[in-house]
Amino acid sequence: MPDVIVSNWAFLAQGLAITVQLSALTILAGTLLGLALGVARFLRVPVVGQIAVFYIEFVRGTPLLVVLFICYFGLPALLHFHTTAYRAALLGFVLFIGAYIAEEIRVGLRSVSAGLIQAGLAMGLTPSQVLRFVVLPLAFRRVIPSLFNQYVRLFKFTSVASVIGVDEFTASALLVNARVFSPVTIILTVAATYLVLCSAISFAGRALYAHLAVRT
Amino acid sequence: MEYQLNFTPIWEHRDLILQGLATTVALSISALVIAGIIGLVIGSVGTARSRSWRAGAALYVEVMRNVPLLVHMYFWYMALAFLQLPAFVCAMLGLALYSGAYVAEVVRSGIGSIPNGQMQAGLALGLRYFQTLRFVIYPQALRIIAPSLASLLSQLIKDSSLASVLAVAELAYQAGAIEGQTFRTFEVYITLSLIYLVLVTIVTQTITWLAGESESAAARLSDA
Repeated sequence: MPDVIVSNWAFLAQGLAITVQLSALTILAGTLLGLALGVARFLRVPVVGQIAVFYIEFVRGTPLLVVLFICYFGLPALLHFHTTAYRAALLGFVLFIGAYIAEEIRVGLRSVSAGLIQAGLAMGLTPSQVLRFVVLPLAFRRVIPSLFNQYVRLFKFTSVASVIGVDEFTASALLVNARVFSPVTIILTVAATYLVLCSAISFAGRALYAHLAVRT
Repeated sequence: MEYQLNFTPIWEHRDLILQGLATTVALSISALVIAGIIGLVIGSVGTARSRSWRAGAALYVEVMRNVPLLVHMYFWYMALAFLQLPAFVCAMLGLALYSGAYVAEVVRSGIGSIPNGQMQAGLALGLRYFQTLRFVIYPQALRIIAPSLASLLSQLIKDSSLASVLAVAELAYQAGAIEGQTFRTFEVYITLSLIYLVLVTIVTQTITWLAGESESAAARLSDA
């Protein structure tokens, strides 16, 4: 490995740890948010469903950078609270990816055939049991590939947090570059690191999908 | 103290917003053209019979897609700083190479969705391989992939906001400038997101409408 990377290894690793932590927390919270919104939209829950539609359309039409700006600068100014760049980024990422995951979940829910739902109801399951035991497990398996696409997307997008001053991997690398000035090596190392980690997430998604796939 | 919403300072800076909008549109269109060419070439190569060509196309797509857009831009701006490219060009190239990989995947799946018989029929009629692609496969594939292309384009427009990091004076950058002058933080960024929302909606609806038009034109043709 190039000297620049080896001698700044600890610092870069620290940044990478923040990137991974930010991604992991966002994936967890974003999936839960997406699940809630997706189900609310699918079931056409009054009020909540409409709010979900509005929210999803708004976020999907807004660049991530702007969502982060709103969370870091806009909301604290409007509602008078203080936040750290890390917390604002986490909030922004969850709100952002949650909207996309909600859409994936809704598509997955809709792909479950009406016959299965009717069969479940005919067997005496309550509607919520049908959702819990029939629709969600099937839909979840089907959306694994698109869910993991969103996770990969999110992992790449965490680099944008560097813009609002989160000391994640990209920001650390830029700082190292400011110190030692070796842009070619540093940028290529950063690119390669994201490449490997994104491929790992995709691979995990494919493995999980193959493991759980509905065999017909 | 209650925060008073006040949008007038933003309206007073509408010239900056319009300038930013023009740059965003220019950046998106130029990146789109390059991404379209990359996508068409790499996507077509991705359906080639030769395995090594297909592997090459897949390698391009994997590498470009799995690197953050911001890093793409920094690559042109910082790593290749000796080229002395203007920030706008760096942002455009980063955006084009990154989005091109996504377009390539869509093109590849579009071509793959056209039955093999179409290609065989074209070749049997005496068309060359590239003529068959050009006159038989691409027009049919385009109609199928139009919705995906529309969503990729809206993605591209939104992603172009990252050019502000390289100090390209597009929408997000100008919004930051207005915020710095007026301190109407919340209003500025909400306005910004609404502008993007409108822009993206217009683009998506137009493409969907165009695809629908060409669909009905094709239907009329096949009915005749």
